[in-house]
Amino acid sequence: MRAIPLLLYAAAAAAYGAHFAWRDPRVGRLATGLLAGGLLAHTFLIGMQTVQVGHAPLVGTTAAISAFVWLLGLAYLYLELTSNERSMGLFVAVLLATLGIIPALDGEVAQRPEVLRSPLFTIHVMSMLLAYASFALASVLGVTYVLLFKEIKAKHLGVFYTRLPSLGVLDVMNGRAVAVGWIFLTIGLVVGAVWASQVQSSPDPRAQNMSLADPKILVAVVSWVLYSFALYARRVIGWNGRRAAVLSAVGFAIILFNLLPIGYFMTRSHNF
Amino acid sequence: MSVRLFAIGLSHQTAPIELRERVDFARDGLEAALAGLAARNIAREMAVLSTCNRAEVYVAADTDDAVDLVARFFGEYHGVSPADLQSHLYVHRGADAARHLFRVAAGLESLVVGEPQILGQVKSAYTVASDQHYTGTVLNRLFHLAFSAGKRVRSETGLGEGAVSVSYAAISLAKKIFGDLSRLEVLILGTGEMGKLTGLHLRAQGVRGITVASRTRATADRLAEQIEGAACDWADLDTALGRADIVVTATGAQAAILTKADIQRVMKTRPERPLFLIDIALPRDVDPDAGTLEQVFLYNLDDLQGIVKKNLARRTAELARADAIVSSEAAKFAAWLQSREIIPTVVALRERFESIRRAELDRLQHKLTGLPPEAQAQVDHITKLIVEKLLLTPTEQLKAVSDDALAASYSDALNRLFSLPPSEDPLAEEPVVVKPRNAT
Repeated sequence: MRAIPLLLYAAAAAAYGAHFAWRDPRVGRLATGLLAGGLLAHTFLIGMQTVQVGHAPLVGTTAAISAFVWLLGLAYLYLELTSNERSMGLFVAVLLATLGIIPALDGEVAQRPEVLRSPLFTIHVMSMLLAYASFALASVLGVTYVLLFKEIKAKHLGVFYTRLPSLGVLDVMNGRAVAVGWIFLTIGLVVGAVWASQVQSSPDPRAQNMSLADPKILVAVVSWVLYSFALYARRVIGWNGRRAAVLSAVGFAIILFNLLPIGYFMTRSHNF
Repeated sequence: MSVRLFAIGLSHQTAPIELRERVDFARDGLEAALAGLAARNIAREMAVLSTCNRAEVYVAADTDDAVDLVARFFGEYHGVSPADLQSHLYVHRGADAARHLFRVAAGLESLVVGEPQILGQVKSAYTVASDQHYTGTVLNRLFHLAFSAGKRVRSETGLGEGAVSVSYAAISLAKKIFGDLSRLEVLILGTGEMGKLTGLHLRAQGVRGITVASRTRATADRLAEQIEGAACDWADLDTALGRADIVVTATGAQAAILTKADIQRVMKTRPERPLFLIDIALPRDVDPDAGTLEQVFLYNLDDLQGIVKKNLARRTAELARADAIVSSEAAKFAAWLQSREIIPTVVALRERFESIRRAELDRLQHKLTGLPPEAQAQVDHITKLIVEKLLLTPTEQLKAVSDDALAASYSDALNRLFSLPPSEDPLAEEPVVVKPRNAT
């Protein structure tokens, strides 16, 4: 059961790849269908886990990754259906299928420890994950922007030129995704800080480690600084286009670093 | 006797422009042309396709005479002598006619291969004919498959992709850089023919504003008027460059008029907006190094011509795939047409069997009268089932024959073996084949 969403995401990635290569609209619809099927199975899985443990399955890094994959898939699907633009699907589905491996391998749903029994915790996690999903989309938009930018600059109009939307559209969408992500990231950090201050007195050692000295929290703040700069640079010093695209790709690399190696091996405050 | 499909016409491939101008069905409207054709009682179904490069009539008729009659109509309707027309008209028959229309709809027969307007023109040819009730079973099926062939070629191959003229290559690049052209400001430097042409193309694309700058203000004013733009003084160039999103340079200057430093200076005033420089002057107006600046996209005439050349090559490379799609759609139509051609024989064969069954039942009537009504009904039912079962395989086999000659010889053999009467209506509706269930 745990592997079904992953299998569908992988199949969707393959179909998006085939659609990208040959641009057969039937294959494109198949890809969207597979992605929607994967998300449906994933929703069902999260629902079952919620019933099983009696709360939203957001405890621990693996559960967070699962929820992140789910949110990113939903956000992308919404974007695809509203813009009728499938060329980004390959990049997103590959990300979903890759990250989806982790929860598929280790799907034990953790019971919520005493310290996490606050609605603030749920708001914090959901905001952070929504921010990460937005930033993931922004980075996909950024990477595709750079690929198309390079083709046009080098005057070798090829694969991306015929498949991707215009640089202007990619840039505007990137700007919006970063802005939406930044809002959620800010909410997530503020709520997280409030909640951390509330649980400081808890006997749980993890709660006592909630400070800037913890790599997980430090890197999250670093990413907030980076995205704040990206927003400022775009609005005030005219850093859009390629610079903004590169910034959003770097930003998401930092977030992945925070989500995976730091989340699993380095944090002393977020290891639930 | 079966229904025949013909395509008769002329195009840029077979007729010179002088003749194509005279043979123009669109002049008095397709309705008038169709009415003229219908008045001659040549065919059961007809449609007229008219584009600036093509005049064609598609008919479904009962005899081969239709070809000569339609050819004569071409001449008489347009007042062209048969001698002038004869060597320029082409005729396609049956499945070839279908294949031809599908190739036309897919843009494979167009002057610029893959151009997109033709599919719309084929659609309007059909709409006009079908609104006037000149189309029937055959042309309805033919045109719908043509639309599907056209759409498939468009979406599944790169045949219509990529600009094949320098101006369009520049415009498609502009679209790929900016997305929406309607908010863009264009600056044209130089008042030559090339600058004017590109300006007109950009105007047609709906850019927000066009400014013309030239060393002589009067010529700038003149061109600005022609392309509905504004003129500015050469001295105000920096301001104009700062405002522009697209700059077309086409002056006759012997040295570069815009250096990298010039562009760098301008970009500092507008770092957030990309600048697309289209240098179509020879010698070049813009220092090639300017293209290395962030947010500056510089294309010169050679670059654009290179794109056009590549696009043409790519279109040629897609021809085989497009042709395969057309062939598969044409094969569908051919199979359908074939199955219709064999229908009269199938109908006659079934009628023959049914009449034998009835005759035998009548002959045995006196023996059957002794049976209860249920048993009589049972006998009727069982004999019907036997006939259906006997006919099932031959019917399916006949309808599956895809070769014209083979179908004709099958038809002929059946006619002789069962002494079938000549059929009345080749367009009779297809008989419904009921698969018999076991009588037990």
